[in-house]
Amino acid sequence: MRRIIHNEWRYLIRNRLVQWITLGFAVVLVATIFLGNLQQSEQAERYQEARKHLRDQWDGIEAMNPHGAAHYGTYAFKPTTLLSSLDEGVGSQTGNVLRVEGHVQNEMVHSEAVQMQAASRFGKLKSSLLLKYIVPLLLIFLAFDSVSREKKSGRLKLLMIQGAKPLPIVFAKTTMVWIYGVFLLLLVMGAFTLISSLNSDVDLGQRSLLFFLSYTLYFYCLSAFTVFFSTRWKNATAALTSMLGIWILWTIFLPNIFLSSVEKWHPLPSRNEFQAAMKEDRAQGLDGHNPSDERGKALEQEVMAEYGVDSLHQLPINFDGIRMQADEEYGNQVWDKHFGELRNVLARQKRSLQWGGLLTPFIALQNASMGFTGTDNYHHQEFLIQVEDYRRMFIKTLNDKHAYGGSTTGDWGWMADNDFFRSVPEFQYQPTPLAQVLPGYLPDLGILLGWTLLTSFLLLGGAKNIRGL
Amino acid sequence: MTSISTFKYEWKHFIRSPFKVIALLLFIGASIYALHNGSTLYHVQTNEIDKITAEQAEKQAEIIAYFDKGETGPAEQPWVDVTTPFWAIWNTPVHHFKRPSPAMVYSIGQAEQFGFYKRVTFWSNAYDSDLVGEIANAERLQSGTLDFAFIALFLAPLLLLIWLYNIKGAEADRGILPLVLTQAYSGTRWLLARVGFYALLLVGVVLALMVYGALLTDVFADAAAAFWNIAGLLLLYITLWTVVFSLVIHFGKGSSGNTFKMVGLWLLFTFVVPGAVHQWISIQYPANLMTDWIDAQRDEREELWELPDSVFQAELEVLFPEITTSPAKQDPELSNLAMSRSGVALANELMKTSTVTIESSSEAKNSGISSTFWFNPVTFFQNRMNGYAGTHFNDYLTYRQELQAMIDTQIRVMVLDLWAAIEVDKEKYLEYNRQLTWQPSKQL
Repeated sequence: MRRIIHNEWRYLIRNRLVQWITLGFAVVLVATIFLGNLQQSEQAERYQEARKHLRDQWDGIEAMNPHGAAHYGTYAFKPTTLLSSLDEGVGSQTGNVLRVEGHVQNEMVHSEAVQMQAASRFGKLKSSLLLKYIVPLLLIFLAFDSVSREKKSGRLKLLMIQGAKPLPIVFAKTTMVWIYGVFLLLLVMGAFTLISSLNSDVDLGQRSLLFFLSYTLYFYCLSAFTVFFSTRWKNATAALTSMLGIWILWTIFLPNIFLSSVEKWHPLPSRNEFQAAMKEDRAQGLDGHNPSDERGKALEQEVMAEYGVDSLHQLPINFDGIRMQADEEYGNQVWDKHFGELRNVLARQKRSLQWGGLLTPFIALQNASMGFTGTDNYHHQEFLIQVEDYRRMFIKTLNDKHAYGGSTTGDWGWMADNDFFRSVPEFQYQPTPLAQVLPGYLPDLGILLGWTLLTSFLLLGGAKNIRGL
Repeated sequence: MTSISTFKYEWKHFIRSPFKVIALLLFIGASIYALHNGSTLYHVQTNEIDKITAEQAEKQAEIIAYFDKGETGPAEQPWVDVTTPFWAIWNTPVHHFKRPSPAMVYSIGQAEQFGFYKRVTFWSNAYDSDLVGEIANAERLQSGTLDFAFIALFLAPLLLLIWLYNIKGAEADRGILPLVLTQAYSGTRWLLARVGFYALLLVGVVLALMVYGALLTDVFADAAAAFWNIAGLLLLYITLWTVVFSLVIHFGKGSSGNTFKMVGLWLLFTFVVPGAVHQWISIQYPANLMTDWIDAQRDEREELWELPDSVFQAELEVLFPEITTSPAKQDPELSNLAMSRSGVALANELMKTSTVTIESSSEAKNSGISSTFWFNPVTFFQNRMNGYAGTHFNDYLTYRQELQAMIDTQIRVMVLDLWAAIEVDKEKYLEYNRQLTWQPSKQL
């Protein structure tokens, strides 16, 4: 089998057309990595500038009432990651700017997609675009006549007379095409390793390896499927057109239909409904029987009892700060309920979509590619959760200062000093570790492995087809 | 052999090719699904607008009841006085909608990325965070919705490819091409007739699907021009691909080679060129992080309130020269209240200035994309189709401009009536409702 692969490889690389195509692909693939990195660096620079600008403003607050500062708020910007130069995922759709302020959990605004007219349907020319859509087509073109050509020229009979078995022949043909795909993939990973070497860590290495693994499995499925058709059909053109049909179904039709359908199976609320439901819960209480003023009165009694006083003005602390923090904590329950339900719906949509991988391995590849590069919706939600956790800490710090910083109830003119504002920590995004998210992508990897096994079984059947020659 | 007989033979060949027929059926199935996606979004948006309009009417009736009962506002909010222009306008429930065109059934375009309704107050801004798209799955948005534009612009050329890949090539592969050509009246005409058959079939199918789509959202009643424009555009698009594929077939030597070239061209124009342009635009103009807008919204707006009264008043009088002779100017108490409430006008000017950077950055990106249309035809056709369906970036830009015009009007009316010390009654309140609602005839 090794000898057949060796011969096939020599045959392939001697072909002038293949040489040119390989050179063209190599140049474009490596260029996409460098261009992706250039774009990521430009965006990261903007991000750093904006972040510093906003922090300087915060650090520059000389004196301000803490509650005024909660309304002044701050902003969190979504950083780009090195891996986004491989696959941008949902990055251009999700927005870049998130306002962090008291009383409300905001949503991200101003995505790249709303800043211009439609530019491309399948996203930017990143390596993932070529690896997902175009390299597979190249593999199909390399494999579609791999067996039928041998049949037609009579070389297949010759090989079998010389003692070659059908199974090693079809596996060798598949492996050769697959190795070619892996070679292109290695070029991408090599270029990526080169540009990321200064900032690499274990997580990045593991993510890159899993990204590599996902594509190698997908390339194997495609190569094996195409070789199977080549054994199945007498006519090479029939094999090519069948495989093209499958490629269209797998990569264009089914993923789009599945993505549109999962939103229908697990519908998201309209923004108006979502806001109205939160507003109602915020005003009426989570169970609908605990209006906010009643909650406020109960809290007043509790705090006055704790300090042994009869009126709020006798308190040595500022009750307004306590009330606002209690209101925040109540509000947090409301946000958790509604945003949590939103995340649950999105998770259900994702799970349904993953089932779609049983019909087309492209869906599993798409999920794995975005997931391992940390650019899918799940990672985006993780970013939002981190910002919300920060918001809660940020507002609590301000409310605690308002309550216990030295002012008394009703003293809205009291101001905290610059030292206090400088002491409030800045939002630091912690990239989600792979170990935390890996279980979510195991179904995708499992499905890709399943397809690898299935296509290998098909090759066994394909070998039987040529045994009868 | 005449063109008609070539057509007949081609029809027989077509119906005897299961692969080609299945491709057509899949195309029709996906198109119907896509048209229903567009229609669903159209109806969802229309219903949402109707719902908000009904809520708006309820709120309006609530305020009118105060006038009828001789009250000034809700008992639990004693500071609210709807007989003053400030509170009356604040309680005028005005929304501005981007009403979907029935032609949305054909192209969802950028409709899901932008908001289509917004409550307008004098504190509003065209870039407020509540003016974002509906809640949607970002991964689906990234892949793009399966709408009819996608089917027509990306899959129709593939369908054509599947139908045309073996024309002439199959005969050449079998070595019977010379024989066929001796029987044909002319090689070129034979080729054109065969290709023309499929091009006409595709045009017919696309038109039939468009008519089906038109029935879903009543396109002929409300957007007939968009129907014909899109039909014309798609006719041109299909013709272009037909010409390109015909040239490949004409100069090609076999079906595999022809398929390879046709797929290559399809990939080049649908994936590679648009993707490269998109990447170039992102490098050239990185995503705007809105820092100018944030500065205006927080610090600069805050600084306004720290201006000395004389400067504040002078800036206000530049914007509204009418207030220099107004009744409130003569009364210090009224003047102080009017001045503090008119600050919103200066804040609005600040916000408008800050959005210039955002808009000029978008303009640069759009010009960059448009300058590539001569070698990036698919993106050109996509944007034209979005334009006809009212789902293009520019449609939402116009919506934002209309919104800003409404905010300006609201502020102007509030400031002038406040300084004129106008007392609002029911009639005046109803007039506000009429005056502050967007009318298409209004000039931007």
